[in-house]
Amino acid sequence: MCETGEKCDSGNDNVPMSEQDTWKDVAPISQDDGANTICPIAYTDEYREMMGYLRAVMSKCEVSQRALDLTSRVIVVNPGHYTVWVYRKKLVEELGSNIENELDWVTEISEKHHKNYQLWHYREALVSRLLDPKAVSEMTEEQLVVHPVIRRELFFTSSAIESDSKNFHAWSYRQWLVRTYGVWEQELGFIDTMINEDVRNNSAWNQRYFVLMGDGRGRPTKDAGSPMEGSLADSEIDYATDMIKLAPNNESPWTYIVGLLVRHAPAKLYTVLLPKLKELAADGSEYAAAMKTTPFYWSALVDIYEQQAKDLPDQADDLLAQASEVCDVLATDHDPMRNKYWEFRKDQLVPNI
Amino acid sequence: MSDEATTDEEKGIFGGLFVNKHVEYIKSLDKRHDEIEYWMTEHLRISGIYWGLVALHLLGRENELDRDKIIKYVKSCQNTDGGFGGHTGHDSHLLYTMSAIQILVMYNVLDQINGDKIIAFVKSLQDESGEVSGDCWGEKDTRFAFISVAILSFFHAVDQFNMDGVIEYVRRSMNYDGGFGSQPGGESHSAQVYTCLAALAIAGRLDIVDRDRLSGWLAERQLKSGGLNGRPQKLEDACYSWWVLSSLKILGRVHWVDRQRLCAFILSAQDTEDGGIADRPGDIADVYHTCFGICGLSLAGFDKYPLDEIDPVYCMPVRIAERAGLRSWMNNVPKTWK
Repeated sequence: MCETGEKCDSGNDNVPMSEQDTWKDVAPISQDDGANTICPIAYTDEYREMMGYLRAVMSKCEVSQRALDLTSRVIVVNPGHYTVWVYRKKLVEELGSNIENELDWVTEISEKHHKNYQLWHYREALVSRLLDPKAVSEMTEEQLVVHPVIRRELFFTSSAIESDSKNFHAWSYRQWLVRTYGVWEQELGFIDTMINEDVRNNSAWNQRYFVLMGDGRGRPTKDAGSPMEGSLADSEIDYATDMIKLAPNNESPWTYIVGLLVRHAPAKLYTVLLPKLKELAADGSEYAAAMKTTPFYWSALVDIYEQQAKDLPDQADDLLAQASEVCDVLATDHDPMRNKYWEFRKDQLVPNI
Repeated sequence: MSDEATTDEEKGIFGGLFVNKHVEYIKSLDKRHDEIEYWMTEHLRISGIYWGLVALHLLGRENELDRDKIIKYVKSCQNTDGGFGGHTGHDSHLLYTMSAIQILVMYNVLDQINGDKIIAFVKSLQDESGEVSGDCWGEKDTRFAFISVAILSFFHAVDQFNMDGVIEYVRRSMNYDGGFGSQPGGESHSAQVYTCLAALAIAGRLDIVDRDRLSGWLAERQLKSGGLNGRPQKLEDACYSWWVLSSLKILGRVHWVDRQRLCAFILSAQDTEDGGIADRPGDIADVYHTCFGICGLSLAGFDKYPLDEIDPVYCMPVRIAERAGLRSWMNNVPKTWK
């Protein structure tokens, strides 16, 4: 392929395809406009010519190196053209192309088009062909992370995420990689690095939950409602509150720790998290001012008091009254844009009978 | 008549909404053949027509497109496998099959195509576990779970599908923040939230949703500008006016966002010279953001112009959904939500 340095005259953009030897036996097929347009075609000559030849080779299902080269050129210009990907996949299979080279080519495309859906899915298919997950299922994680295929994919995805730290596709792909080959432990280190680089990276917080609690596939997982180990809950509370200290007005660690505990360790909300938050917000604490001005602090208090009232009915009246006051503060001072939400939350604060 | 006497309404501007400009913009999209973008977006042309048609419907100007030409074109995109490509000669894909059917439903001509072949195409994309791919390429996503269910519902054929498998896939894609990702484990994203809620609405299984937590997370998507983002720490974007508000509409909680400020944000993203709406103020308009910006205004109750009401599950006017017998999802909303 042109992009990997092989000789390929169809990649010579200076010579029109109609004048290249490779293409002299092919008559390009012009755009079938359906019933959509009555105007003459007027797109740029180069693109028009390329698409004409593509339609011609696809119409006869040609399996050839020149067809493969042509799909490279089309995809580089317009990776959203999903039909050409399907054709390319077939060509690679039938020509018996080198999968390593193909993966290198996908890597190059990724740099320019990292938000394209097709290339990430294609990458999964190629990597699965290079390394059958079943063939390495007996290996330990230490062995797996140094396997050349896995090591390269971990490196590739971490580079992609470093250049666009919230890239939805890259994180999804990384989840596939971690789950498919079972490299869970190394992932926590990667997540730490990403959160340390940007504590507001919600994608990294989501990945933390994915690694610790699983996703319902592959790893022993904890469904919502199933309890987690107390020591893990404690260490996650420490971790999240440390991150809250760095930037109190950051939605991600608040949502993470409250969501995690509600699902897997509800009592820890008021036995461990609440005292820590109160300490941070107490007079004299260097975080007091920042804590008290972020809606996330107050919002967490409502969640915590609500859970506590549910678990401790004899204190419910007092706890719900406190939660109700907090809702008022949010509706009027800290989060007036969502005052309807806080009014609703306040109305919900009634003791379970 | 002097220029000074020309009122905003005569110019087609209502409470800051440039109605006439948007209509002209949408009508011009099929004529921009000298622009490379026109050709580069060929593979999703049919969705472009769908977005334009929805916007025109909401503006009450749907007759400004050539109905017969569009119907003929849509039919030309159907392949022998029953599915539709994004344009004539492109492979079948669920995304474009959905757009094609939505257009045909809006024109009330769904009976002109072979529903059995479409049903067979959709069924062919579900695996044994119930997960659904978009096409033969094999990518799986909660978007495709929704679209497959929606397409089958157009033909009242939902019972021919492994719905338990779809519901389980959606349930496993629910996160600790109450939202949904593109697959189990994936980060919550408001567009994926919409697809999951819409799928559950059609399936009559909204009961599995953590309504309050999810509604709170969606309301949190509103930023100081009044615009909505898709997930935490991302920029506001006019298209999330649809993804977030349609979700809140299904949840019965549209009033949890500040609707006036949202309308002001959407209007600020208009191109007041050439028409159309962009993702945010100052950017270039496109038909996708034009459609979803206007959908957002409709859901937010913009009252300076009689925008048609939009169905939050099927993304087409309520009166059309009613005509097509597609409003039964409302009967399946949990009783405690009403």
